[in-house]
Amino acid sequence: MKLISRTRGVLTAAIAAALISTTGAARAEFPEKPVEMTVLFGGTANTIAQLLSELMSSELGQPVVPVGRKGGGGAVGYSFMAGTAPDGYNIVWNSNSISTTYHTGRIPFDYKAFTPIARVSTEVPALAVNSSTGWKSLGEMVAAAKASDKKLKVGISGKGSFTHLTSAALFDALGIADKVNYISYGDGKAPVELLAGRIDAAIQWPGQFVSYAQAGDLTVLAVTGDTRVAILPDVPTAMEQGTDINISMWRGLAAPAGTPADVVQKLETAAKNAVDSAAFQDAAGKIGFSPAYLDANGFGEVIARDDAFYAKLLGELGMAK
Amino acid sequence: MESFFQALTLAFSPYAIGAVGFGTFVGLVFGSIPGLTFTVALALALPITFSMAPVPAIGLLLGTYIGGMTGGSVSAILLGIPGTPSAAATVLDGHPMTKNGEASIALGTAVIVSVFGGVFSLVVMIVSVDLVSRIAIEFGPAQIFALVLFGFSTICGLCGPSLLKGLISGVLGLMIMTIGLDAIEGIPRMTFGSINMLQGVNLLVAMIGLFAVPFIIEAFSQKDDVSFGDRPMAKVRTELPSFRLLFKNLWLMIRCSVIGTGIGAIPGTGGAIASFLAYDHAKRFSKSGRKFGKGNIEGVIAPETANNAVTGGTLIPLLSLGIPGDPATAIVLAGLMIHGIVPGPALFMNHEVEVYGMYVAVVLAYFWVLGLQLLGIRLFVHVLKVPREMLAVVVLVLCAVGAYSIRNSAFDIYSMAVIGVGAYVLVGLRVPITPIILGMVLGPTLENEFRTAMMLSEGELSIFYTSPTVVIFFGLAALIIILQGISELKLRRRSRQEVQTTDA
Repeated sequence: MKLISRTRGVLTAAIAAALISTTGAARAEFPEKPVEMTVLFGGTANTIAQLLSELMSSELGQPVVPVGRKGGGGAVGYSFMAGTAPDGYNIVWNSNSISTTYHTGRIPFDYKAFTPIARVSTEVPALAVNSSTGWKSLGEMVAAAKASDKKLKVGISGKGSFTHLTSAALFDALGIADKVNYISYGDGKAPVELLAGRIDAAIQWPGQFVSYAQAGDLTVLAVTGDTRVAILPDVPTAMEQGTDINISMWRGLAAPAGTPADVVQKLETAAKNAVDSAAFQDAAGKIGFSPAYLDANGFGEVIARDDAFYAKLLGELGMAK
Repeated sequence: MESFFQALTLAFSPYAIGAVGFGTFVGLVFGSIPGLTFTVALALALPITFSMAPVPAIGLLLGTYIGGMTGGSVSAILLGIPGTPSAAATVLDGHPMTKNGEASIALGTAVIVSVFGGVFSLVVMIVSVDLVSRIAIEFGPAQIFALVLFGFSTICGLCGPSLLKGLISGVLGLMIMTIGLDAIEGIPRMTFGSINMLQGVNLLVAMIGLFAVPFIIEAFSQKDDVSFGDRPMAKVRTELPSFRLLFKNLWLMIRCSVIGTGIGAIPGTGGAIASFLAYDHAKRFSKSGRKFGKGNIEGVIAPETANNAVTGGTLIPLLSLGIPGDPATAIVLAGLMIHGIVPGPALFMNHEVEVYGMYVAVVLAYFWVLGLQLLGIRLFVHVLKVPREMLAVVVLVLCAVGAYSIRNSAFDIYSMAVIGVGAYVLVGLRVPITPIILGMVLGPTLENEFRTAMMLSEGELSIFYTSPTVVIFFGLAALIIILQGISELKLRRRSRQEVQTTDA
C-alpha cells in the first residue's frame, strides 16, 4: 500500500510537472489542450491532413489530432463540426464540399456557419480513358461518343461528389451530357475499373492516374483547371482544347463561426508555417497537389465567390435542391 | 539484382530492423488487447514515419500491420474476444481450447501458422504480382458481389445446431450496417435525425460490443460456490505445439494460405472473409469435423493461416493498383504516398529498391512476430490466472477507451454498450454471435457492389449470369447451402430415431 501511494505521488508530480512545462507562464493562452481536426474524406485529403496536422502540432506546441468523420460527401463531418464549441479546439479540414453539400441539400447550413482560417492547397481533377480506346483528345472522345448509340460509362466517387459535379459540368460543356451514364465507386477504385475496361472514362485526381499514364495503360485527356498540373505536364487543360470549363478544388482549414479572432490568427500562422515548410512542399510534389496558402481574409473571399459559382452551376445542371 | 542487394543493406541496417521491431511490438500490443485495434495503432504510428527514410518508415508501418494481424488471435483465444474482425473466426475453436486448458498450444499454433501464411503469401506476391494483379482486375462489381455472397454462405458452417438462428444472426448484422448515410446516393437511413447516427455503426465498435460486453456481464452474473476473487478462467500450462501436430496439418495450412492470398488480392474484400471461408472449408473437409466448435486445433489453424496470408495478398492491389483493401492498408498507403512511393504499374520501374526493401521488411516483421510472440505466450497465459471479475473490469475500461479512440466519439461508447447488451440477450437465446460479425463485414460490400453492378449494366440482371466467374461463385454458394440442408435433414432424422428408441 505504501508503495502504491508513493508511486501515485510520483505520478501526480510528474503529470503536474508536464502540465506546468507545457502551459508554462501563459496559462490562459491558446492552445492548452490538443486540437481536433475533422477530416471529411479518405485518399489524398486524408494523406495531406495527416501531414498538415503533424506539422501544425510542432508549430502550436500541442498535438493537432486528425479524426476521420467521413461520409455523405462531407455532410457527416460538417454536421459534427456545426455542433462543436467555437473555441478553436475543433477545426475542420475544409474543401469546396461545403458549397456542394449545402446546395445539394445534404446539410441545412452553408459556409457562413464556419470562420475561415487559411487555404492550404489546391487540386485539379483530371479526365482519363483507357489507352486502348485510342482517344488522344477531348474532341476524339466526343466524336466517338456521338457516333456510338451506347452511353459513355463514366466513373465517379459517389453521387453528388466533387468528381461527379466536375464530370457533369465537363460533359455538359462538351455537349454530350445526355450520352453519359455515371457509375459510383468508393475508395478510389475508378482507375482500376478504367484499366479493366468496365468503364469508358473517369474523372479523378491526377495523383491516382500518374502511375498508369507513365506505364501507358491510361491516357489522361484533360485537366479541368485553368493551368496544367505539375505532375502531368503534358496533359492540356480543357480550356486549351476549346471547352470553357475551369473547376479546381481547394482545401483549407475552418472553425465554427464565432471562434475568437486571436485564436483563428494563431491557427492561421501555424498553418502558414506548416505550408511553407520544406516537408510540406516536398510532399506536395510527391502526392500531386499544389500548396496554395491564403490568409483567412483571402480564403473567405474565395469561399464566398465559389459558393455563388457552385450554386449557379448546380442549378444549371439540375443537381441543386 | 543490384537493387535487391541495395534494398537488403537498407533493410538490414540496425535502424530499420529496430523500426520494424518497434512496429511489430506496437501492433502486437494493440492487436492483442481487446478494445484496442491495430488500425488505431497504425494511425498513431503514421506521423512518426514522416521524418524517417522510406524503407524504415514503410517497415514500421508494415510491422504494425502484421503484428496487429497476428496479435488479434491472442485475446480471441484467451478471452473469446477477437482483437480484430479477422480474428473473429478464431474465437470459435480457439476459446474452447482455452477452456480445455490448451491455451498455450492454441496460441503457439496461431503464431506459427500465421508466420507460415504470411511468408507463403509474400512469396506468392513476389513471384506473381503481375499475374495476380491482372486476375484481380478482372474482379468487377458483379464478380466481387458473387464472391462476397459465397463468403456469406459460410454462415451455414458457423451457426451451430440451428440454421434458422444463424440466419437471424447474419441478417441482424446486415441490418445494423444499413444505418447511416448510404455510400452511393448519400441518403440517410434509419438515423432518426441524429448526426451521430449519420456515420453509421463502426464495425470495430460493434465487434467490441458483441464479444466483450457479454464477457463482462457473464463474469459478474455467474454464481459459483467458490468465493469472489478466487475463480481463475482456466488452468494454465505453457506448452508449445509439437512439430508432429504442425506437420500433420501442413496441407491444411497450404490450402488456407492460398485462400488467404487469393482473397487478399481482390480489392474490397479482406481478412475477415478469408478467415471465415478458410474456417468453413477446414470444417467441411476435416475428418474430425464434428469436433469443430469444441476446441479443434484445425479450427485455429485455418483462420489464422488465412488472415495472415491476406497481408501478402493485400499488398498486391496496394502496390500494383494503389487500392487499399481495408482501413489499415489505407494508412499504409498514406505512408507510401508521403514518401513519394506512388503505387501503381509504374512503381516497380521507379522504386525498385523501396519495393524490395518492403519485401525484406515483411520477412523481418514475421521474424519479430515469431520471436516476440513465442516469448510473449509465457506471459499472456498468466492472464488466465487473474480472477474473471478483475479481468472483466480491465476489459470494460479498455473497451470503452478503445471504442472512443476509433473516431474520438463518446457516442461510440454508448453504441458499443447497446450492441453488447443486445448480444448478451442473443447469447441467452442461443443465437450465435459470429454470423452478426460476418453480416456486418460483408453487408456494405454486398450492397454497394450489387448496386454498382446494376449501374454498370443499366439495370440488366444479365450481368450476374453472363460471366463465368460470377456463375462459379454462385454455384459454390448454392452447393454449400444444399450440403448444409442435407446434413441438417440427416441430423433431424437421427435425433428423431433417438427419441423413438428412448420412448420404447
